[in-house]
Amino acid sequence: MFNIERKGEEDRKLSYNDVNCVGCGICTDVCPTSSLRLGPLVPIARGLIEMDLISVNADSCVFCGLCSIACPFESLSLEINGENIKESGNYPVWEVESKVDDEECIYCGRCYSVCPRDSIIFERNLPDSVSLIRGEISIDEEKCIYCSFCVDLCPAEAIIISNKPTSSVDLLNNSIEVDLSKCVQCGVCKRVCPENAIRQICSTCMLKEEIPKPEITGNTFIAEDSCVNCSWCSQICPVDAISVTKPFDGKLELVENETEDKICKGESCHACQDVCPCNAVTIIDGKSVTNLDFCNLCGACVTACPQDLRVLTRTGMKLENINSESWREILSTLIDGK
Amino acid sequence: MAVKIDADLCGHIQDCPVQGLCIKLCEQGAIIEEDGDVKIVPENCDDCDLCIQNCPNQAISKA
Repeated sequence: MFNIERKGEEDRKLSYNDVNCVGCGICTDVCPTSSLRLGPLVPIARGLIEMDLISVNADSCVFCGLCSIACPFESLSLEINGENIKESGNYPVWEVESKVDDEECIYCGRCYSVCPRDSIIFERNLPDSVSLIRGEISIDEEKCIYCSFCVDLCPAEAIIISNKPTSSVDLLNNSIEVDLSKCVQCGVCKRVCPENAIRQICSTCMLKEEIPKPEITGNTFIAEDSCVNCSWCSQICPVDAISVTKPFDGKLELVENETEDKICKGESCHACQDVCPCNAVTIIDGKSVTNLDFCNLCGACVTACPQDLRVLTRTGMKLENINSESWREILSTLIDGK
Repeated sequence: MAVKIDADLCGHIQDCPVQGLCIKLCEQGAIIEEDGDVKIVPENCDDCDLCIQNCPNQAISKA
């Protein structure tokens, strides 16, 4: 986290939010004054060093804001007289998005459980299970011998027995109760009861027409600032309710060269896997394999690979509204290859 | 092939900014701590170069 400022005719302030930073190095690549430095990615990702991924030389920074515009991850922002330049309309903006269609979402929560950035806020309201069931249960206390077979077998933990005498003059301190908010009328208690003390009838099938299909409501929301547009959520969604626009088009390849001994060492290195913000890298049979469906082509793994085996080819980017020719020239280097 | 450490550049754990980062990074047991210093076990090294790339003192190179 840093905030640096220059006061003058305009007040300019550059802020870095380390939480959203993935260590891709796009900002350091475009900085015209080489004022930004990328820290040691792998040791930071492994928790061996505690420091920010990016550091700035405040003396050489010219506060142009190019880094904040090029950053696809909302990690850097430049304010001029208190206004973020990304909101002014004059500067380029990333037309990227990961969005949930509330009409389609069935609130299964699968996106929530796979999101590598914990960027999905998810909650749902399920009906009481007993509202989907019809039946009756009663226990004849005259017959019950308080053996607790039913208590131990009840899958819903709905039966409560008190069968311990509190004193020698109170040998009959027994009670048995069914918690009707938990009982699902399965009948296991009735079948196990040695004294036939339980009367239970399930009428769910008979009355199924009158049991309304429950409406499951909820909320699935993708937090824009921490999302890296990796597509895990949209790939896993069973009802195609999530759309993702990634920052780049292109590909990432692993290119080995055996004659120069440039070979992926997979399990012993796994630097790429550790730094990948998208959880797109897996080591399979000792080699790094990247699933491009989940990769956002940020390039962090390219920097992290000690063998320099990863070749990133970006063929397009969703950075729109580039009005300045000089900025276009610098920003286009992001798609010319790394 | 393994790696070698330049003794003049190496922080010898005590003066290393991360107290032996190479030892912590190497999962093959090819760089270990012995008598408070860094020691290379060449037979364990599989030339992944992770230590070379990340040494804060640039003290490690190919042997």
